[in-house]
Amino acid sequence: MPEQLLYAMEVTLNGLMAGVMYSLVALGFVLIFKASGIFNYAQGVLALFAALTLVGFQNGQVPFAHLLNAVFGTNLHEFGWHLPAVVAIVLTAVVMVLLAILVERFVLKHLVNQEPIILFMATIGLAYFLEGLGDLMWGADIKTLDVGLPQGISETVESVTDGIFGYGFFIDNLDIVATVVAALLVISLTLFSQYTKYGRALRAVADDHQAALSVGISLRFIWVLVWSIAGIVALVAGIMWGTKSGVQFSLSLIALKALPVLMLGGFTSIPGAIVGGLIIGVGEKLFEFLVGPWIGGATENWFAYVLALLFLVFRPQGLFGEKIIERV
Amino acid sequence: MNEMNSDGYTTADGRRIGGVLMEMKNITLRFGGVAAITDISFDIREGEIRAIIGPNGAGKSSMLNVISGFYIPQEGEVWFKGYKRGPMKPYQVARLGIARTFQNIALFDGMSVLDNIMTGRLTMMKSGLLGQAIWWGPAQGEETEHREKVEKIIDFLEIQPIRKTPVGRLPYGLKKRVELARALAAEPKLLLLDEPMAGMNVEEKEDMSRFILDVNDEFGTTIALIEHDMGVVMDISDRVVVMDYGKKIGDGTPDEVRKNQAVIDAYLGVAHD
Amino acid sequence: MPKDATKAGLQSIPALLARNADDWGQLPAFREKEFGIWQSWTWAETANEVRAIALGLMTLGIARGDHVAIIGRNRPALYWSMVAAQMCGAIPVPLYQDAVAEEMAYVLDHCGARFVVVGDQEQVDKVLEVQEQVKGIEHILYLDKRGMRKYDHSHMNALADIAAEGLAAHQRFEAELDKRTAELSYDHTCVMLYTSGTTGKPKGVVLSNRNIIETSKNSAEFDHLRRDDEVLAYLPMAWVGDFIFSVGQAMWTGFTVNCPENAATMMTDLREIGPTYFFAPPRVFEGQLTSVMIRMEDAGRFKKWLFDHYMDVARRVGPAILDGKPVSGTDRFRYWLGNILVYGPLKNTLGFSRVRVGYTAGEAIGPEIFDFYRALGINLKQLYGQTEASVFITQQPDGEVRSDTVGVPSPGVEVKIADNGEVFYRSPGTFVEYFRNAESTASTKDAEGWVATGDAGFFEEGTGHLRIIDRAKDVGKMADGSLFAPKYVENKLKFYPNILEAVVFGAGRNMCTAFINIDLTAVGNWAERNNIAYASYQELSQHPQVLETIAGHVEEVNRSIATDPMLSGCQIHRFLILHKELDADDGELTRTRKVRRNIIAEKFADLIDALYGGKDEIYTETEVTYEDGRKGSIKATLTIRDARVEPLQERIAAE
Repeated sequence: MPEQLLYAMEVTLNGLMAGVMYSLVALGFVLIFKASGIFNYAQGVLALFAALTLVGFQNGQVPFAHLLNAVFGTNLHEFGWHLPAVVAIVLTAVVMVLLAILVERFVLKHLVNQEPIILFMATIGLAYFLEGLGDLMWGADIKTLDVGLPQGISETVESVTDGIFGYGFFIDNLDIVATVVAALLVISLTLFSQYTKYGRALRAVADDHQAALSVGISLRFIWVLVWSIAGIVALVAGIMWGTKSGVQFSLSLIALKALPVLMLGGFTSIPGAIVGGLIIGVGEKLFEFLVGPWIGGATENWFAYVLALLFLVFRPQGLFGEKIIERV
Repeated sequence: MNEMNSDGYTTADGRRIGGVLMEMKNITLRFGGVAAITDISFDIREGEIRAIIGPNGAGKSSMLNVISGFYIPQEGEVWFKGYKRGPMKPYQVARLGIARTFQNIALFDGMSVLDNIMTGRLTMMKSGLLGQAIWWGPAQGEETEHREKVEKIIDFLEIQPIRKTPVGRLPYGLKKRVELARALAAEPKLLLLDEPMAGMNVEEKEDMSRFILDVNDEFGTTIALIEHDMGVVMDISDRVVVMDYGKKIGDGTPDEVRKNQAVIDAYLGVAHD
Repeated sequence: MPKDATKAGLQSIPALLARNADDWGQLPAFREKEFGIWQSWTWAETANEVRAIALGLMTLGIARGDHVAIIGRNRPALYWSMVAAQMCGAIPVPLYQDAVAEEMAYVLDHCGARFVVVGDQEQVDKVLEVQEQVKGIEHILYLDKRGMRKYDHSHMNALADIAAEGLAAHQRFEAELDKRTAELSYDHTCVMLYTSGTTGKPKGVVLSNRNIIETSKNSAEFDHLRRDDEVLAYLPMAWVGDFIFSVGQAMWTGFTVNCPENAATMMTDLREIGPTYFFAPPRVFEGQLTSVMIRMEDAGRFKKWLFDHYMDVARRVGPAILDGKPVSGTDRFRYWLGNILVYGPLKNTLGFSRVRVGYTAGEAIGPEIFDFYRALGINLKQLYGQTEASVFITQQPDGEVRSDTVGVPSPGVEVKIADNGEVFYRSPGTFVEYFRNAESTASTKDAEGWVATGDAGFFEEGTGHLRIIDRAKDVGKMADGSLFAPKYVENKLKFYPNILEAVVFGAGRNMCTAFINIDLTAVGNWAERNNIAYASYQELSQHPQVLETIAGHVEEVNRSIATDPMLSGCQIHRFLILHKELDADDGELTRTRKVRRNIIAEKFADLIDALYGGKDEIYTETEVTYEDGRKGSIKATLTIRDARVEPLQERIAAE
């Protein structure tokens, strides 16, 4: 096989893997948007917050240590233990659920029946609040996250592809894990929403609030449920991205990468989020590989947005979004 | 609570109507300064088909919304199963055993007919979130059990052919039937129907009447329905409340109501649409 | 399987049922979809159910020779009731459930039914209504209890309750029941079926056990039917075909009869069951093909290309492969690929994945339609038959299948063509008589047992296949003496998906004209795709573009007719699109959806006058009957169109 083609294949594979990471973030947006029509600006910060909390738990950091030390003159920093990764993840998940309850109690409950733009503003506020809260609780320094996921280049893939094509593909182990985890996540979310009573209630609320109320569904409970799930998806995204590039403020910016994914996939479609992520991932890697050299590189910074723009012009509802037909 | 009314009566076609299931006492509902309902009282008895009729804008829908908890009246009391009902959320009312349909149909368009009807049973599913999440043990058995109940209703309302069809694709008349099915799935003590025959042709109206009678007969469900068209309703109701301009102007059997001068005036004499 | 039924003592349906219960009691006999699940009964269970119903009938005092009417959609319990009636020495009479009250009253009165077994409340109401005129009915038995609580039950019961009573009383009635069942022989009446009657009152065709069992045996052997075959019972129980397939052949062969949930779920149920032996009138195949084509119109470009490409391959080599004729390796490979990509999935959606033997009959089937299914690898064949023959007169053997013939005489059937072209037959399936109608019996069946079919046809030279042209009495002459075969033209028109029904006039006239009924599904879909708004069937039918399209179809038919010198006089000069669908409820069609030419001609006389009178449009009012029996009238102004006619090269007068 010609070498160029093999390169391209490798690039495509890498793009697919990167796409999965985008999809993970986009998924959180879609879940909340579907159920409540809210575009949750804080989704990225949610991932950052989850990652921070996870690291904090793992390292036995004392939450609010700076604050406590400043107010009470103590010198607390760490409890002095290291929690196993699994325990820390479970604890973080519990925190995300608590967070969902608090968000509902203090924000959403008071904004029932408000315009989407108001709700959007509220999530912007929430984003800044969480960002500050994260810093305050766990400190602003850059942290490394290690929950035991394999990292580095996968030797198995390299040797197998070398055996077949005479050319070893470089695939990151973490990307492989991320792909598997994302697939499991999507499958379980789909099963949950299709075949369980809460899933059905979730879809019901997403479809029609009034009808949902009439069959005895509590909207507030559903909101807590949705934000909890979104929080847990954010946790998964936080783990993957945090492991890859460290836990720091920039983690919250992955939300920006999710935007074009949503434009492509549609705001209301879970498969859309996945396929959109994959297209953007592959698209930007291939574009950089094929066209980048001709126009001076660094295309990855803007490719996704240009693609999204094109979609906005030609297919505003996205690939899988519901086509809105206004009948007179 | 209402000892004086607990004996009930027997209808013309020999059905036994029981004691008071729901009682509205001196209900007044205002939106800002506008009174939608003024000082209305009536009761709904167990096993009965009770209609609330009136011209457009008479306040019928408001009354239904008070019963189903979507509106909370400024004055008056709502008694259900012998207890005074405090201010409640619609979903809490639903869990008390009051199911309803909507004049403009509120179904979950993106979901299949089956899923729509299954949502009607949400309040009766007992297994917890965790069990549901991992789809294990009791949750699975429960799903099957509820599915069986829902299938009985599907059979009853003759909607087998559209079981898997997304509701959004159905014609109007069938949507109305699916909505009825979803309300029935909750096995309600009281079924509220908001203009069940609005926008239907004669044949569809007759079908719907038959289903309403069959539901009442087969499941013994108490039914309260509102309609502005007197025609069909008078044939199927046991007792009728007539409203006009937010006030009650008549209450009794269809025959009594038909002879009531105030009712005749409201419908024929003074048009106010 | 015993070769000679007589020797084995299998001379009645109850005897066959008993054998099945003994020999393969644990195999499934009946299935029915209810509450979303396929419920199933083994042969042993079926035998028990039937026995319980028979005992129940005994408690009601059923006597030998009584008639038991059966009304309802295909349900196991109704089939069981028929067999139960036979066990008691009575005669089952299945009726068309959608028959109007008048028709039902006539049949119930004519056969003097003492008992009526019905499906649900709707049919109970119908029978109660009829009872005002028909006094012989003693007891109504119903399957579905819903809505029945308020009825007066002094002469009415749920079938299940009666069966339970029967079981409770088994000691009192068992001996008598067994005696009556044991008496049954080949000469006893098996079933009585009323023919829908294109003209006049329905006639009760008496079919003996010999008729049914011999025919079932012969036809089952002809097509190698097996115990593991599956059929879907969805055609009216009153139709002889259903009785042969779902009772005769099922009991003889021991295959499984599946009953759909209801009429509207038939397509879904068909898919779920995947029958191996399937019968449908042409309109079912037409309807399915139309819906496939509509879906393909809406499909994406690639999908459509894939479909078109592989359907071309299939049309070219599919039938040859099915008939076992030589086909090149490349083509075989292409067909194999097409099967994976297109035919397989398509057959699966249609519910035909497992069909081993498929039949169509009753009407001519469009060659395109017929070839479409054959091309997909579905062994669809044609047969020719009628109630009086216990279905089979001719049928197509595997490997000799064509759309324009109806096959060779079925085993045991003799066929001859009279001088005027009318087809006659004689067979073990030939009916005993028309019930209480010696005159009709005599005029249909002669002393030697030959039965006139009323159809004109001829045997093709070389192949020995029978070809049917038209109803013998419908084949007429035009004013100039040339041959007029309306059905031949109508069938050609009906092959277009847009045309549901067509009625051609021209006997004794100087030119042919036609009424057209558009197919609302196909034309409505077309209108939707082209953003054409319409408020009613009537409005759509008169839309200029619709008229234009239909005119195109008519002209194409004219071109094709013109190639046949015998029939070229039958080209359509003028036509109009009817403002209402021809409907059995209005008496315009028979229950089996055959056109009642004379009634239509009479009812729409004003329209025919307009067609021949040279007008461009005509205002008309028509009485219609709604489903609930009320009558109303519709008014419309219909456009009349001229169609281009091919010049006649050479006119050959008929005969």
